[in-house]
Amino acid sequence: MSGRFRARDQVAIVGYAQSPVTRHADRSLGALTVETARAAIADAGLTPEQVDGFVTATLFPTSGAHAVVDGVSVVSADWLAARLNPNPRYAAGFSGLGQIPGSMALAVNAVAGGAAEHVLVHRALYNPAGSYHDTGAAEFRGGLQWTAPQGFFGPLAMMGMTYTEYVQRYGASREALAEVVVEARKNGARLPWSHWSGRPLSVEQYLAEPMLADPIGRLDCDIPVDGAAAFVLTTAERARDLPHRPVHVSGYATGAPPRRRLPAHWPLDDLMAAGATTAERLWASAGMGLDDIDLVQVYDGFSPLVYLWLEALGRCPVGEAHRYVRDGGIDSDRPGADPVLLSGGSLGNGRMHGVPQLLECYLQVSGRAGDRQRPGVTTALSCHSSPHLGGALVYSAQPGAGV
Amino acid sequence: MTSSGRPLPVPDPLSAPFWEAAARHVLTLSRCSDCGTLTHPPDVVCDACGSTDPRFTATPVDGRGAVRSWTVVRQSFLPGFADLVPFVLVDVQLVDPALAGQPDVRLVGRLLDGVDAPLAAGAAVRVAFEQLSPDLAVPAFELAAS
Repeated sequence: MSGRFRARDQVAIVGYAQSPVTRHADRSLGALTVETARAAIADAGLTPEQVDGFVTATLFPTSGAHAVVDGVSVVSADWLAARLNPNPRYAAGFSGLGQIPGSMALAVNAVAGGAAEHVLVHRALYNPAGSYHDTGAAEFRGGLQWTAPQGFFGPLAMMGMTYTEYVQRYGASREALAEVVVEARKNGARLPWSHWSGRPLSVEQYLAEPMLADPIGRLDCDIPVDGAAAFVLTTAERARDLPHRPVHVSGYATGAPPRRRLPAHWPLDDLMAAGATTAERLWASAGMGLDDIDLVQVYDGFSPLVYLWLEALGRCPVGEAHRYVRDGGIDSDRPGADPVLLSGGSLGNGRMHGVPQLLECYLQVSGRAGDRQRPGVTTALSCHSSPHLGGALVYSAQPGAGV
Repeated sequence: MTSSGRPLPVPDPLSAPFWEAAARHVLTLSRCSDCGTLTHPPDVVCDACGSTDPRFTATPVDGRGAVRSWTVVRQSFLPGFADLVPFVLVDVQLVDPALAGQPDVRLVGRLLDGVDAPLAAGAAVRVAFEQLSPDLAVPAFELAAS
């Protein structure tokens, strides 16, 4: 087993669309997603009748008591297919974390295996009215019985404990973490579709915000939004006849923790051990190493995840990412730096999960980034979620052998 | 709703022995009857030996531990905690001699000493219990003299 992805660069992204990213859309999430999907299909030079595969991940990442209603708070592949091209050859949903690498992998495999010719991958994120994570639950069953009655509940406390370990071990300062958020917001402010468009952040503004779960402050978390994005995938061969320069999927990897843990318990050692394995699998799958990648886009739903991805991917030694960031290592305006938050990320767009990272890779490799286009980007890498439960994808402008 | 207003665990066949002991303020871990490994929480398959019939027994441990990490919760999303914020959650690795040589067992609970208590990685703690209702208590921790 070499770990090589046999369909390396055989499947390509050929079109996309994204809705505006707003706190609350002016129409239902289902309607927003149908419009976005139609736009993506048209962008790819196709019609809905030609789309015979639908893939998504429907996770609604709230710990609160919000209802999961298809078309309202989530949009499943079946729901969307029923409104665009009913009874497609292939419809699937990814159920783990790392929804973007997970659902993209399902779509790539479906195209490569011939289960469908044109697959639409979408992600729809919902911001409910009221508190995102609040619950009035009087009882907890299953895994949460071991944590919630004790007061351990929700992703803020989860990340607070993970990041305390990092701070204690490596001496990361609040000022260094500020640089992550300021960089994300700087890049997000330049995006017309972002919730934070035109609204960069200063270090002083960051430091003035309150702590929520020390050492995680309010601006270390992405803001919940309504938004939808869709990407169309087909074979590299078919892609040659479509309007836009195709972006091929070279490989992917997803992780798994080394140990069963309490719900939302993310010990730092678990993240880094599994993260190193995720990276090794990614390089083997894609046939590239970090030095072969022109553009790396890391996930930042919580700001410390930027450090953890930088270290898991090997951009810096373990424990050094906070210094790398403080020294301007990720500054998109500094020549020679590694602009890992060029997409604005979740902190600079809103809670779009791994969409900004995937979108930036697609735009830059396809040459469609407009004023923000960077020269010479022919390979790219996007991450989502954590290094131990999420995953990553590698892209290439070049089609695979035999195409 | 309980007097504390806090949510309660609902025991199931795997967890009931733990909660019965906790009600008596005794911390237990689950010992696999096939391989003897202690774990928390119990699962349908033993993580250590793969037994699909682990017949876990609730085994008392002494409740001493070392703090691996912590956070200060300033905004709780749960009912019954509004009057308790800010509070400290600690990630504790139990250090009972019975756990020597096996994978780490970690519990997360409130540190009852308050947010101003001095904390450092490796700080010694011992289990304490918060009585949520007359017949139900949940584990928490207190700093122990080192």
